[in-house]
Amino acid sequence: MDSDKRVQVLKDRLTYIEDIFGAKRVETVELLGAKFGEFLDRLPVMDHSVRVREFKQIEDLFAFVERKLETELTPMDRVRIVRHPQRICLKDILENVYDNYTEIGGRGEFNIDPSMLIARANITRRVGKKVINQPVMVIGQEKGHGEGFRNGGSAKPWGNAKALHYMKVAETENIPIHTYVSTPGSFPIEDYPGAAQQIARNLYEMATLRVPIIAVFSEGGSGGAEAVGLADRRLMFSHGYYSVISPEGAAAIEGRLRTGQRATPELVEKCAAQLGITAEDNLRNGYIDRIIQEPSLGARPEHYDFYKDLRREVVQATNEVVSSVKSMKLFRAMALKNRRRRKGSLDPESIYVRWHLSNKARGRLLEKRFQHFREMSHHAYEDGRSFWDRVKSGMEPLGWTIHSWFSYGLLRRPRKHMEDFMEEMRAEAHLVREKVVRPVRGTLQRMKVVRKKPSSRIQERAREELTRLSCPEEGACIIDDSWLWMSPRSQEDKAVSCPNARTHGCQDLWAPDLFAEFAGVCTTCGHHFPMEYEWYFYNIFNYVEATEFNADIESRNPLGYEGFELKLDQAKKRTGRKSSCVTFETTIDDIKVVVASLIAPFRGGTVGAAEGEKFILAAERARKKHYPFIAYVHGTAGIRIQEGVNGVIQMPRCTLAVRRYIDAGGLYLVLYDTNSYAGPVASFLGCSPYQFAVRSSNIGFAGPGVIAETTGMEVPPKYHKADQALSRGHIQGIWDRGEIRKNLYQALLTMGGRNLYYR
Amino acid sequence: MRIMKACAQLGHDFICLCTDVDRECGHVDMARELGGDSCVYTISNYLDANEIFSVADHAQATAIHPGYGFFAEDFRFARRTMSRDRSMIFIGPSWWVIRELGDKINTKRIARSLGVPTIPGSDRPVYNELEAENIARNLFDFQAAQGIRDGMVLVKASAGGGGMGIEEVQDLDQFRSVFRRIRNYAKRNFNDEGVLIEQRIFDFNHLEVQVVSERGGRKHVHFGTRNCSVQSTGKQKRIEVAPGFAPGDLPYAFDAAKVLEDITHHSLTMAREVGYDNVGTWEWIVTPKGEPFLMEVNTRIQVENGVSAVISRVGGEFGVNIIKEQVRLGLGGELSYDQEDISFDGVGIEYRIIAENPDDRFSPCSGAITRFGWQEEDWLELSTQIPRNRVYEIPMEYDPNLALAIVWGESLEQAKERGIRFLDSVVLEGESGGSAAEFRTNIAYLRDRTANLLEF
Repeated sequence: MDSDKRVQVLKDRLTYIEDIFGAKRVETVELLGAKFGEFLDRLPVMDHSVRVREFKQIEDLFAFVERKLETELTPMDRVRIVRHPQRICLKDILENVYDNYTEIGGRGEFNIDPSMLIARANITRRVGKKVINQPVMVIGQEKGHGEGFRNGGSAKPWGNAKALHYMKVAETENIPIHTYVSTPGSFPIEDYPGAAQQIARNLYEMATLRVPIIAVFSEGGSGGAEAVGLADRRLMFSHGYYSVISPEGAAAIEGRLRTGQRATPELVEKCAAQLGITAEDNLRNGYIDRIIQEPSLGARPEHYDFYKDLRREVVQATNEVVSSVKSMKLFRAMALKNRRRRKGSLDPESIYVRWHLSNKARGRLLEKRFQHFREMSHHAYEDGRSFWDRVKSGMEPLGWTIHSWFSYGLLRRPRKHMEDFMEEMRAEAHLVREKVVRPVRGTLQRMKVVRKKPSSRIQERAREELTRLSCPEEGACIIDDSWLWMSPRSQEDKAVSCPNARTHGCQDLWAPDLFAEFAGVCTTCGHHFPMEYEWYFYNIFNYVEATEFNADIESRNPLGYEGFELKLDQAKKRTGRKSSCVTFETTIDDIKVVVASLIAPFRGGTVGAAEGEKFILAAERARKKHYPFIAYVHGTAGIRIQEGVNGVIQMPRCTLAVRRYIDAGGLYLVLYDTNSYAGPVASFLGCSPYQFAVRSSNIGFAGPGVIAETTGMEVPPKYHKADQALSRGHIQGIWDRGEIRKNLYQALLTMGGRNLYYR
Repeated sequence: MRIMKACAQLGHDFICLCTDVDRECGHVDMARELGGDSCVYTISNYLDANEIFSVADHAQATAIHPGYGFFAEDFRFARRTMSRDRSMIFIGPSWWVIRELGDKINTKRIARSLGVPTIPGSDRPVYNELEAENIARNLFDFQAAQGIRDGMVLVKASAGGGGMGIEEVQDLDQFRSVFRRIRNYAKRNFNDEGVLIEQRIFDFNHLEVQVVSERGGRKHVHFGTRNCSVQSTGKQKRIEVAPGFAPGDLPYAFDAAKVLEDITHHSLTMAREVGYDNVGTWEWIVTPKGEPFLMEVNTRIQVENGVSAVISRVGGEFGVNIIKEQVRLGLGGELSYDQEDISFDGVGIEYRIIAENPDDRFSPCSGAITRFGWQEEDWLELSTQIPRNRVYEIPMEYDPNLALAIVWGESLEQAKERGIRFLDSVVLEGESGGSAAEFRTNIAYLRDRTANLLEF
């Protein structure tokens, strides 16, 4: 190689090391720099043989230093590696891993979203004597090598929409999808659609996308990652990270920083270490299936060997997924398994599996995908249920299934037939009476055999009906205290000012009136003050007669996050509940429903492993019993960051569960109450076809502070208000607090699929 | 004014509220006269409860009289008065009573449960179309059977009020479309689909029964009836006469004495049932055939209480003051007399002199009063907030009421004659828009209507 080129490569390696370790490994980096400087000084005077030797020496030194630093990599170093402009990007992968590709949807910055790259690519190989060409759809965030317009791989909602569109194209064409996740997070903008809205759509569709999906994680930043990350096989680069939030974000929350303040590097480092973001952590927790080993200090475009490994891995993963659902596999499945045990014994490229799936295989694929996610994250919550309870909860679903089968499947049809028959008979009988009995009676009356009913008696009855008390069973006085449960704030003797007082001229309201009779609604302008979750439980969801279930599934601290144990205990003590998700079975008027709610007083209604599990169990219960399923979101601040990926993984997990429920013909209705943000809204809540909001709610992806911080845009006031969400098409209606119950009942009667027990 | 007089007579200290606009009125003068300068507090708005309570706290008041309007029928105000940390007495019925009788539908149901006659029709919001149609059919049949030609049915939104969402239906064929229209109107405007269906009654007289009850709601008496049928187009009363009918002096198509007896009896029955515990008015309408129907209950003292007082004698004594009784009973005083102690004598007529133009839909008249005078008589009581010694600007913010005159006579004939005499003696001059000719009052209208008072 030309020595100038080799020098340039070494220079790049040095800057790379400096960039990543500069701040904390000063001596090592300086030493290396000094040695390299010396070498450069001597370089012009060297003769050929010395030059060859010296080059080898200095390259060995670099390799040694890199290996040494590799052993000391902290999670934050990995974050820096992943974000470095020299990191391989999707373009590099397309050029080197796939054999032929066409980018779809633009060129460079002339693209609906340059940070989302889509390509139709081929993998061509020779098996035996035959050349095989296998098309795949490659989808992923493109960071580029530092180009500004790529936005660092932070995809906008329309970028995610584009990704979804081409996933569906792949489904139509019946080819596998390879997604490459490399995003620090989604661009948190509320547009048409909003970020959360689009990610939820992606997850909802990917849950039942009928082609194999292989995801490769390089930078997995929370919601943005999930938008393309729900896959049958999830691989991960060894130097990548997959996290609930960027370490800086976690530090900002941890340090309770205001906008504009920066967290100290130590705190960021600490947070990164605690969040369990590395490939090893995620493999151990079961959130990825396999690690793809990178060269020391991470893959850069010139690591050509790495592309080979990557190609082998994705081909292998696709083969595995396909063959696991195919009926015709025989020896190839064995061979695939075999290869895994003794690495390198057989080249996967020589095993050919047709990636085309039959209809039945597609069904099996979806089932497997569901099971795969269903089994995740069970270690991350505490199952406080007794042995007996667990046995019971294992057996119960069987009972529900049998019961549903009998009463809604088997018995319903004959009963319906019988009823139809009776109805017809009655109609016949009526006709006979009219045609036969009446003329006879008329004749008899004329013959004065039977006396006609005196008309005065009819008049008397009419008069009676018009003047006596109707429905005396209701009692004469129909005014009562309309709310069963009243906020403790209604006990304080004070006047409360409405925030709209200046614009709407609202008078101050007396707290006992406002928080009891008015249900926290300003009588002048209709402003909704937030109410406690108990208010809804008792006044809307009939909590007195409800049966709560799985109350003993308990949140814990799966990552050993510092100080979190204490906070969790405080939350448990304060609310008397063991997680922020409360699930119960209740009746609304006369319809039995399953309700899952996220309550704000417990850690801001954040979702972790326990909450996810409870939510899924509730959805399954509703599905088996053919009940409507209502998600009442009193408030949620997002995914619980202290649980790391254990929390994020609930996004695909719960979405899969509700998708299953919806596909089974149920009614999944979401009701937002106060502030509902981030992960849950961007997945299992935001994907519901029936989402409604109480007027007090704010709905969105990221709070105003985060938006200002990450995008630099000025956040207009009322950006997240329910009306905005309505005009974005995220929700389907806004309800006043006083009429929730009425509207809910109306919704139960008019919405939802075919498989509800009362239909 | 009369409340302050009552307080002064009972020996209670009081404070008086006024706003910037009406601080020049006569009632403020009287407050200064009776209670000194320190008893007048200026507030910005009579409708702001918070301000009223903070003034009350500042003055260490122990009770609040809400006056005739605004808060007098607001059960929340009464509830707040009672249940705040520094609680006070609300001079008026207890809040739960106000709440129960403040709702017309609820009042109707209570009445029906006691067999008190109410307007035929529904007594709760109807949501079901078939049910509604059934009621309407019954109503038409019923009116036909009663010999009412061209009977009519009223369809109104149960959550509405003030004439919004009311329509008349002439026959059953129209009913369904009107019902749907009103139901949709109600749903859009009041968020409640409930509809009421009632008989439309024409040419009725408006009667009232003055009820007075003790705190605790155990003892109730009435102070007779009033006829308030002379009203402006906006259903505002202009002349009130006590008693409600004059069966001795005028011929009626029905047994008027029995009607009066029935409505007082029914009113007291209801007062007993709900545990009424202060002064209140039961409002009735009487059809030309002499059927009384309960319309609503006013859970407050009304402006026209004086006309009942003037014909009433307790133990044969003159000088009943119902406002004074209200304050006394409101503070927990005992009702020391029974119904038998109350007797009635003569006829009282109350005139409301108002700056308005009766020929133009009673539109109010703005301007200033330059001269106001009348002939004092011992059968005449007149109260006015207009100061006699200076020009008075009629405040635009409130109703342009100028004076309230009560005339008493031994018989209807004498009372009418004295009423005319009084109206003739009134000198009321003013200007509106700079011209004296533009200034209008309703005096001529009142005189016109005096001639056939109580005739039905």
